[in-house]
Amino acid sequence: MTDTNFDLSRRSFLDRVLMAAAGAGMTAAAPWAAIAAGTAAATSDRVRIGVIGTGDRGRTLIQNINKTRNCMVAAICDNYEPHLTKARPYVGANTPVYADHRAMLEKGGLDALVIATPLNLHAKHVLDGFDAGLHVWCEKAMARTIPDCSAMVKRSQDSRKILQIGHQRMFHPTYLNALRRAKAGEIGSLTQIRASWHRNNSWRRPVPAGVSDRQINWRLYRDSSAGLMTELATHQLQVGNWFFDAVPTRVMGSGSICFWKDGREVYDHVALIYEYAGGRKLIYTSLLNNARYGCEEQIQGSKGTIEPELGRIFQEVPPKVLALQRMQKDVARGKKRAVPIGGATWFPELPVTTPGESLGWGEYDETMLQFEGFGEAVRANRALPGLLAQAYAASVASLLGEQAMDRGEALTWPTSLVTI
Amino acid sequence: MAVPIPTDVERFMAMGTRIELHRFGAAGADDALLAARRAIEAVDDALTIHRPSATTALNERLLAGETAPVDDPVLFDALVAIDAVHEATFGLFDPAADRRFAVAGWRGIIFDRAAARLCATTPVAFDFGGFGKGFALDRAGAVLRAAGIVSACLSAGESSIAVIGEHPLGGGWPFAVPHPSDPDDSLVQVELIDQSLSISATVGAGTAAPDRAAMLRPDDRAVITAPRCAVAVARTGALAEAMSTALLVADPERADRLIDQDRANRFLFDLPCATARASSARMALQ
Ligand SMILES: NC(=O)c1ccc[n+]([C@@H]2O[C@H](COP(=O)([O-])OP(=O)(O)OC[C@H]3O[C@@H](n4cnc5c(N)ncnc54)[C@H](O)[C@@H]3O)[C@@H](O)[C@H]2O)c1
Repeated sequence: MTDTNFDLSRRSFLDRVLMAAAGAGMTAAAPWAAIAAGTAAATSDRVRIGVIGTGDRGRTLIQNINKTRNCMVAAICDNYEPHLTKARPYVGANTPVYADHRAMLEKGGLDALVIATPLNLHAKHVLDGFDAGLHVWCEKAMARTIPDCSAMVKRSQDSRKILQIGHQRMFHPTYLNALRRAKAGEIGSLTQIRASWHRNNSWRRPVPAGVSDRQINWRLYRDSSAGLMTELATHQLQVGNWFFDAVPTRVMGSGSICFWKDGREVYDHVALIYEYAGGRKLIYTSLLNNARYGCEEQIQGSKGTIEPELGRIFQEVPPKVLALQRMQKDVARGKKRAVPIGGATWFPELPVTTPGESLGWGEYDETMLQFEGFGEAVRANRALPGLLAQAYAASVASLLGEQAMDRGEALTWPTSLVTI
Repeated sequence: MAVPIPTDVERFMAMGTRIELHRFGAAGADDALLAARRAIEAVDDALTIHRPSATTALNERLLAGETAPVDDPVLFDALVAIDAVHEATFGLFDPAADRRFAVAGWRGIIFDRAAARLCATTPVAFDFGGFGKGFALDRAGAVLRAAGIVSACLSAGESSIAVIGEHPLGGGWPFAVPHPSDPDDSLVQVELIDQSLSISATVGAGTAAPDRAAMLRPDDRAVITAPRCAVAVARTGALAEAMSTALLVADPERADRLIDQDRANRFLFDLPCATARASSARMALQ
């Protein structure tokens, strides 16, 4: 893409975010969006970022940081040399490269950290960042345990440094537009969200010589990950909390290693119910051996449904009244006969297959926008409002879900969380 | 060949049922059906008791024994209409009747129109039920007429029908009310012009719906379980709904009086033998 093309698509992307963020009720529901999309013009005084973890996600993040107008990658760090090698082409030739994040922190010259390491290392890397006086942007999920999530929030508050977590859906124009339309009442009152992330692959990465399976496939082991819950469900639990404008009151669930019995420790099959005040529910399933229903949040209201991954909104369309349809045909044929009426007012429902309406589609740079927002926050030394509370609740929900499945018990929302 | 008559349909869910608005002919504003839909949704929003609404707020006040202001204009108009149809049905249509409270009901409510407020001598709560559908179709009809529509058929859950003007091919709109337990047979046929039709029954597919409230006679709180079907045609949907409900719950004496008032438009059938109660109604069947 040429620079001009990128500027144009960037403008239309930002316009869409701003348009969605301007809807009624959106200032309260997504206060970060307008601030991030309203970021001032390019600045020579960019926020200097050190990236820890240049694996798959870290490299994507670097490319997105490079697209921003107010941030730059000033150093990279990974303790696995092949991943540093892969990341080097995306940074300037003079960008310092580290194998140990402590050396990077000691060297200085940074304003902020971006963390894309395995889940169990997030807390340590984040806290080390705060200790070094830096602001921190960390990938989701926040941490491996709820106390670690809380410690990260607490330390950010105590050190008055920004902590932002990578939940890019909060910057996605389709999601923002979906929320705007839900807030406008277009799908009625929301009572249920049916969310799923279904894949059909082992989720296992090939392990090169000289490294351990646990290092490469950290997602599959309990020390380092809660598996589907922290890696996938967090995103969708965030969406659920966001649309319900609440955190769950209780969660129950069942998890199993059902298909990939290959020595992994995390479930490859999870099914959970998150309850929300007023009887609302988020029903969640994730599995790794059937991709028919893919990744989606079906946000269900009394007047319609939103499927943001698909980018569509569906109105509840009742099946046609056959007698009235016949009347239409009769009139077209110039025929008049009695319309039988007063039959069933109740009918068993079949799945509806109407195409719905688009919520807007296109090339989106929501991950880039997260960083422009972060850069803005760092400059102002003021976190984007609302973001951390969303991320904290999503991580807690995913970890609480894991506990509920492990224990086979319904668990209530913890009362000991840090207030944001 | 005749030029086809333009038609347009709006289908949606509201008032807990499926609504269809069929417009015929080229006359009238393009967005009339959508405006009519919005009018029905506004009635649903105001009168529903299944989610927070002006009606649930009113009910909370009345149940707490407090005087309740009626700020919502749609709810206010509905109460005005109810006052009229309660009278017209000898009190048999009563959206404030309650099995739990012996003396509850519209009669125990003081509706101060000038001050737009209600107070009740005993705890009461409104459940507008089918009346809401007729009232909503009235408001949608008013919107369509104001938009210049001259021929339309509005249906709310098939048991509430309203027509605007004549049938697109001229003359009345013919409807047949099927026998609830034998769809091939009909109880009665009617022709409507600028009128509304309401059907109430204690049997048939509709009554099997989950959560359907029992039919209640307001004064002695008798629950009507006998197989019956009542049909009423009236100038307004509000009156048609109230009348079919009233006929269904009426004792024999008041049923006869109501039918005698308007023999061509009020029918009551005791099922399964489908004999009409009043001889006039039976004649209308022939
Ligand atoms: N937001 C999203 O959509 C999204 C998508 C994918 C991954 N992620 C998140 O990004 C994070 C990383 O995931 P990934 O797929 O890139 O994993 P990965 O295994 O590909 O990358 C992790 C990197 O961290 C490095 N690392 C491990 N320990 C380290 C240490 N002590 N110091 C420095 N580097 C160290 C590893 O060598 C590796 O290169 C996870 O938290 C994951 O949940 C988020």
